[in-house]
Amino acid sequence: MRIRSLFLFRKYTISAFIIVLLLSALIVMSLRVKQRKGVDYFDALLMEFCAPFQKASTFVIKGIRGVFQEYFFLFHLQKENIMLKQRMAELQKENQQMKETSLANERLQKLLQFREKISPTVIAAEVIGQDPSSWFKSVTIDKGEKDGVRKGMAVIAPEGVIGQILKTAPHYSTVLLITDYNSAIDSIIRRSRAKAVVEGKGENRCQLKYLLRTEEVVVGDMVVTSGLSGNFPKGLMVGEVREVDRKGHGVFQYAELVPSVDLTKLEEVLVITGSSIPLSERREKKERKIPEKGAKKK
Amino acid sequence: MRRVVFTLLLGILFLTLQVTLLTSFPFRRIRPDLILILVLYLGLFYPPISGGLLALFMGFLMDLFSGNGFGLYTLSSPFIFYGARFFKGRFYLESFTSQFLFVFTFGLVEGLLILILLSALNPGPVDKLYPLLFTFLLPQSLFTGLITPILFFLIRKGFFSLFNHQEIGVMERGNRS
Repeated sequence: MRIRSLFLFRKYTISAFIIVLLLSALIVMSLRVKQRKGVDYFDALLMEFCAPFQKASTFVIKGIRGVFQEYFFLFHLQKENIMLKQRMAELQKENQQMKETSLANERLQKLLQFREKISPTVIAAEVIGQDPSSWFKSVTIDKGEKDGVRKGMAVIAPEGVIGQILKTAPHYSTVLLITDYNSAIDSIIRRSRAKAVVEGKGENRCQLKYLLRTEEVVVGDMVVTSGLSGNFPKGLMVGEVREVDRKGHGVFQYAELVPSVDLTKLEEVLVITGSSIPLSERREKKERKIPEKGAKKK
Repeated sequence: MRRVVFTLLLGILFLTLQVTLLTSFPFRRIRPDLILILVLYLGLFYPPISGGLLALFMGFLMDLFSGNGFGLYTLSSPFIFYGARFFKGRFYLESFTSQFLFVFTFGLVEGLLILILLSALNPGPVDKLYPLLFTFLLPQSLFTGLITPILFFLIRKGFFSLFNHQEIGVMERGNRS
């Protein structure tokens, strides 16, 4: 039976369908705003299907970029030098590979050291895709609920804060970057300890809001997390003040901030899945507890 | 059915390219919106029912990997699809210039629609997005329009090589849902 025959007034089939379709889009929007489970399951299912393509594509692009960087300039060489140049290319390739390995090693070592310093319950993830829209700022990572990632968890790098988990699927997640206009993190200025909220401004910039006019802020001041906004540990670098605006009236002043992490070149990130108390503090607490227990036994 | 599956796969391919390949270039401001081109193609050559459903799915895909938590593209994509269907008979869309202008205009319309929906749902911080109208939306729509004739040509080529001419003829007339 054709769909059209189901309608009482065949003349209006298309119009009725358009109205139903747009209404269903509105319902999906409403369900998303309320964060109902039904949409989440469908999201997760589609994400699981589509994200492997992105992962494969990112892998291929990285490979091609490497080859392109190594060989592109060698094509213009003269014939008599071909042998020599090929040898040089091989050596260059080896060198590049070694450099790349060394850089990756350095990066991962840095991540590992940082991970030990900040919290043992941190997992490393690879960025496999960027936001498809220019209005929003997010990235997709290759770790999801099966790896212990949950909505709202903090995402960081050795250089500082990156953002927080927005959506999760079993093996993939979406991270809302601090530069997105929807992002807000409670922070303090390291030098003066003045409290403020860092909000995204798009285009790799953030804004310091609710900063009291009486507080002294200068260009170059470092902004760190206050530890009050849920999952972010205290003292993580957020960015550097680039511009201070005191022109307006009112009790607050505003400042523009450049994130400490270059969010346009993200490759690996860390997701804080557990306690945000730094390892050193936890060790101290543990050490304190052990003598207490010993004293109780006595 | 085969052409619907092919279009779905094409949508996933375009999305993958949009979030990986096109973001790896240094000129991010002029990153073209491939999904918009596909939705407009659907609007021009697909019937209202299957095309509308496909446009809804493309919007859903966009929302899935985007930092927007509202599902704005799920709503805007069918609007763009039916907008394109409404205007397709009023323009001659075979030339490079008309295809460019058509997609450029719809790129701007989609951007404005997103902004209107955002300001309706979350009025507070949206004012930060207004400068992006000139720094992002305008150049992006321009480049989306510029690559449209090539993509339209490639999609049509793909359809002609995969399906028989009778099926494509029916599809382009928009008589079959």
